[in-house]
Amino acid sequence: MAITAMDNQTTHRRSRTRARLADFSSRWSFMLPAAIILFAVLVYPIFYTLQISFSRLDLASFTASQWVGWDNYSTVLRDDRFWQSMQVTGIYLLFALPIQMVLGFGIAYLINAPWKGRDVVRALFIIPMVVAPVVAGGVWRMILDPLWGLMNYWLGQIGIGPIDWLGTPSLAMATIVIIDTWRWTPFVILIATAALLSLPKDVFEAADIDGANWWTKLWSIALPLLLPIIAATFVVRWLGAVKMFDIVLAATLGGPGGATNVINLFIYEQAFRTLRFAESSAMAVIVLVITMVLTGAFLFGIRKLEDVQ
Amino acid sequence: MTLDATPASTHRFRRNLARQLRIWSGVVIALVFLFPIFWMVLTSFKMPKDIFTTPPTFFFQPTIDTYVEYIWRADIPRRLLNTVIVSFGSALISIVAGGMAGYALARLRIRGAGFLGTLLLLSRGVPPIALAVPMFLVARKFGLTDKHITLILAYCTFLIPYVMWLMRGFFLALPKELEESAMIDGCSRFGAFIKIIVPIAMPGILSTLIFSVILAWEELLFALVLTNRNASTVPVAMAGIAGDTVNGANWGALTAVGTLMVVPVVIFALLVQKWLVQGLADGATKG
Repeated sequence: MAITAMDNQTTHRRSRTRARLADFSSRWSFMLPAAIILFAVLVYPIFYTLQISFSRLDLASFTASQWVGWDNYSTVLRDDRFWQSMQVTGIYLLFALPIQMVLGFGIAYLINAPWKGRDVVRALFIIPMVVAPVVAGGVWRMILDPLWGLMNYWLGQIGIGPIDWLGTPSLAMATIVIIDTWRWTPFVILIATAALLSLPKDVFEAADIDGANWWTKLWSIALPLLLPIIAATFVVRWLGAVKMFDIVLAATLGGPGGATNVINLFIYEQAFRTLRFAESSAMAVIVLVITMVLTGAFLFGIRKLEDVQ
Repeated sequence: MTLDATPASTHRFRRNLARQLRIWSGVVIALVFLFPIFWMVLTSFKMPKDIFTTPPTFFFQPTIDTYVEYIWRADIPRRLLNTVIVSFGSALISIVAGGMAGYALARLRIRGAGFLGTLLLLSRGVPPIALAVPMFLVARKFGLTDKHITLILAYCTFLIPYVMWLMRGFFLALPKELEESAMIDGCSRFGAFIKIIVPIAMPGILSTLIFSVILAWEELLFALVLTNRNASTVPVAMAGIAGDTVNGANWGALTAVGTLMVVPVVIFALLVQKWLVQGLADGATKG
């Protein structure tokens, strides 16, 4: 009797352990395919880049051969072109992101009126958004051409120019920002429009009754309510903008004189044109660390923002 | 009485004027944003003598000469096929793997789900160039360059985290009782996911799939690095044409290939625009 009871208990415990194990594995099996792929193509390559960045790369076998410590890093940090490229990237981010955010939310606020063609207009804004960046760069290069371009012809009609938009070092980055803004503002407009539609109407009606003017409604009601979405959109745009590559490649190839040579393009050229894989890996690691830290900071900021609200 | 009515009617008049102003500025801004695309399509149907004119011409005898010539010279049919294979292949793999993982993050009380979520968002900031160098070296070592599967897996690096994040949002929004009742009825966890959750989340899954296809469709960096001939995609051809300074500006080829590349995606996007906008807004806001 006692023996069977104890037996029962152990089998019971064993089956419970087994059930828990089955439960555990069934939960994690959902993660498995993504985990395997991401490990193979995301985690492993990052570590491999890290290894190459501390090695000399044997170009005969394309493998990291000899540990050289911080050599590649010190070479990169002494390279003026690297610093210029970082600076160019910084300028791009510093101008493009705020301009796109302000324009996107501003336009969405401006055109926010209920009418029957609203869905059509909204659909039109999708179109620039799905134009491949490399196509955007090429087409804008054509429009801005100093000799045959449409833009300079129009400006010439009102007595300006011709301006070599992409060929003037001081102007080229501003032009890249314009092209990027053309490509990405519709994205912000669409998100902002959806966000504006989801705002509670009664608050605005109450403000109308209180006689609040246009500015008060924007500044004291809409903006605070939209703040979390603005922050989230900013992070999404930031995650895209740090990868800036295609538009510059198609429009200027980094020129003139490196004025638009954003860091991704610079690393790409160093790796695949001059075959300096070790040094470009060191640069990639530096960029990776900076991007991760800033992204982490933005995410932390958003969480704080949500806590406050 | 007339004195009474005046302020109200001016008020109404001003309100109506503001509304008209909003509507028309919306239309005008949309057209301004569309103009470069319109100009691209227009130029693609011009003969060279109509492309390089002063003033630039809007009216001309349309021709498809440029298309006929460059479709073969830039190897477009094969590239288009490659682009379709790679973008749909990577999007499908990502939607299955990322969808399941997103479901686990949202619903299955995985230990450290919050941490994994943050890691996932962080991973979307990894610069592709940091992955392209090792991928190229490894692919080269194992003879895997210029193969579709290599590019498909490379695209998974940004598609899976993107899909996981979006789908996590969709699944979090579904009522919890759904799969609980199914599991009480004897469904396994996986059975409940396939039979109950997936059908309900279908609109979200489809919009995510479409967005993934578009993201892969226009990708350039990995395609430049990992392919050279057999598996090369249309964006690579586009980059070549745009950057070709030796032969001078070839705007006919640029606009024709550009149009070929953009038109399918635009049609695709417009067909599903309602879901697309929803997915876009969710992707940016749900966290």
